[in-house]
Amino acid sequence: MMSSRRRDVIEFLLNNLVWLLLVAVLVVFSLTVPNYFQIGIFANIIEQSTYVGVIAIGLAICIIAGNMDLSVESVAALTAMVVGILFCSRGVGLGYSFSPEWLVVPISLAIALGVGAVIGALNGWLVVGLKMNAFIATLASYIWVRGLVVALSGGRSAQDLAPSLRVIGIQTVLNIPLTAWVAIACFAGFSFVMAKTPFGRHVTMIGGNPVATFRAGIKVDRLVVITFVLAGAIAGLAGWLLAIRSSGATANLGTGMLFNAFAAVVIGGVSLKGGIGRLPGVYAGVLLLSSIHTAINLMGLPAHYTQMILGGLVLAAVLLDTVKLSIRQRLA
Amino acid sequence: MRRIVWSTMAALALAIIAAASPAMAQSKGKIYYMVPTLLDEFQTGSVDAITKFMKDVGYETVTLNADNKTDVQQSQMNDVINLKPKAIVLAAVDFGALAPYIDKARAAGIPVMIFDRQITTTKSDLTSVAGTVEIGQIAADEIEKLLKTKNGAVKGKVLQVLGDPGDPYTLDIQKGFEDKMKAFPDVKIISLPALQWEASNAGTIVADQLVANPDIDLIFVHAAHLAVTAVASLEAKGKKPGDVLLVSSNGAPVGLDLIRKGWEQVEVEQPLYAQAAALAMFADKVIAKQELKPGSYKVLGLDSTLTTEAWGANIKIPGAAISKANIDEPRFWGNMKAPTEPVKPVE
Repeated sequence: MMSSRRRDVIEFLLNNLVWLLLVAVLVVFSLTVPNYFQIGIFANIIEQSTYVGVIAIGLAICIIAGNMDLSVESVAALTAMVVGILFCSRGVGLGYSFSPEWLVVPISLAIALGVGAVIGALNGWLVVGLKMNAFIATLASYIWVRGLVVALSGGRSAQDLAPSLRVIGIQTVLNIPLTAWVAIACFAGFSFVMAKTPFGRHVTMIGGNPVATFRAGIKVDRLVVITFVLAGAIAGLAGWLLAIRSSGATANLGTGMLFNAFAAVVIGGVSLKGGIGRLPGVYAGVLLLSSIHTAINLMGLPAHYTQMILGGLVLAAVLLDTVKLSIRQRLA
Repeated sequence: MRRIVWSTMAALALAIIAAASPAMAQSKGKIYYMVPTLLDEFQTGSVDAITKFMKDVGYETVTLNADNKTDVQQSQMNDVINLKPKAIVLAAVDFGALAPYIDKARAAGIPVMIFDRQITTTKSDLTSVAGTVEIGQIAADEIEKLLKTKNGAVKGKVLQVLGDPGDPYTLDIQKGFEDKMKAFPDVKIISLPALQWEASNAGTIVADQLVANPDIDLIFVHAAHLAVTAVASLEAKGKKPGDVLLVSSNGAPVGLDLIRKGWEQVEVEQPLYAQAAALAMFADKVIAKQELKPGSYKVLGLDSTLTTEAWGANIKIPGAAISKANIDEPRFWGNMKAPTEPVKPVE
């Protein structure tokens, strides 16, 4: 018979496995990769986690609710381009400005969130209203939204973002850029929402068993639509941050981020079947991926290694998930 | 609800039919331009340029975008061969993988002209290039001068940010650059690829390397849009224009803007307009399967050389190094002043 204390320890380790893995990876890289162990590199890792990390929050919420949103990468690219077109002064930028100048910050953010939310609402309507498969509906959005980016920009880029916005990408607090603090705040906020509020609990219940949740009197359809709107709006936020980082937008901005976000979500312990997952684990997954990317950059290894390691990590995460499940069954 | 769905589908069908309707304008026929991607400014610029210059000589251009996917471009080639156009202009996603499709098109009697991305493994009817290897070589010459001015000798540390490592275009530039730089053993080159040519990946590489190698003298990026995020990373690390030298290639408007602002010193241009105009100048002869005479030609005022190579007629138009001294010249496509004079076919 296992003592409850030992059981708690094992549960804690299982719940935070990805954080332990992250610490182990950081230690190994610090000891073996030249120039890795320094504050600047750790700050870079946190900064680089910003964009994929923010996208992964919305994606994780959708997956926890038992759905999927493949459009998040393209939504981020679209909002970056919209912000770029409106508030950049060169390329395809129209250079809108306000008096006082700082107004551009809340206005551009509202536009980015709004654009993302509208596409999220459309996805939600297709899935809930028309009963379309979420994978197919959001795959279509992934394609047409990227097409819209090219159509809006004509394949050209927008440069020279308004200085009031750029300052968010340049200023640091505790050596970490403000954009990264936005991501950290998002993870903290949504982790709280998902773990401690009725909304979060209901979303997790829907992912676990939507029929039982419906019979418990919870408005399943409405909540599912809200998860899509949230995923879209959060992707919009990621696009806003990307535009700030890039001082504008190019038509291929954010390409490949969807798969990194998926990898982070899976590595972070979110079950693709829905109903299981915690956002802090997702953040650890994103940090883990960025740590590996950075190590590969510093070692000067060909980029193919990143993709091979990424694929291997995702496989390992799925295997670990299976192992965790069997350990939990034995504990029960 | 059902009505909404049906109305939407009907509207979509009408839009597709309208888009697919043949153009009413009279022309000598259709030429298909197989563009590798529309996600970078050089390629989108090439669509406008080829469409304009081919129209000047009487052809209607239809463009198909392969989204940087070799298999998509292969399928497109198969489809287009069945449509029997007057000619195909190909800017290949993958130089080697498209060779059998060029053979197939030519066997079906459709001339194939190669734009920008030289294919030497099989015969084609005309190739118009600045030369990707040559772009790397020109960049090396410019970097040699910049390092000498900065350090008193050709020495220092160079960060080379490639495009996607699966794209032969960037590998050719790398080859041209590194082969030339071998003459300078005191120059250390760190080469890293920006996956999928994605700008923020380039920014990440620059940010990491500035921490790991704070003594980097110069950054060489293989496309101007990558320079934008490189500059964003420099700015975020508190650098000022000129602190770290920057060289880029392809001559896109973003690169020219960065030169004007002082962040970038040299942009190695691909002469997009001239490369496109050369194809139009020879289109009639290529389609009539007439011999193209080797020699010197003026293409939009640029001295160009047509040679007969193992892979067929090849016109090479030299790329130019753009710096603050010559940046305003309208011949650079990055200034977005497309020539208004119509191109005339070669007699």
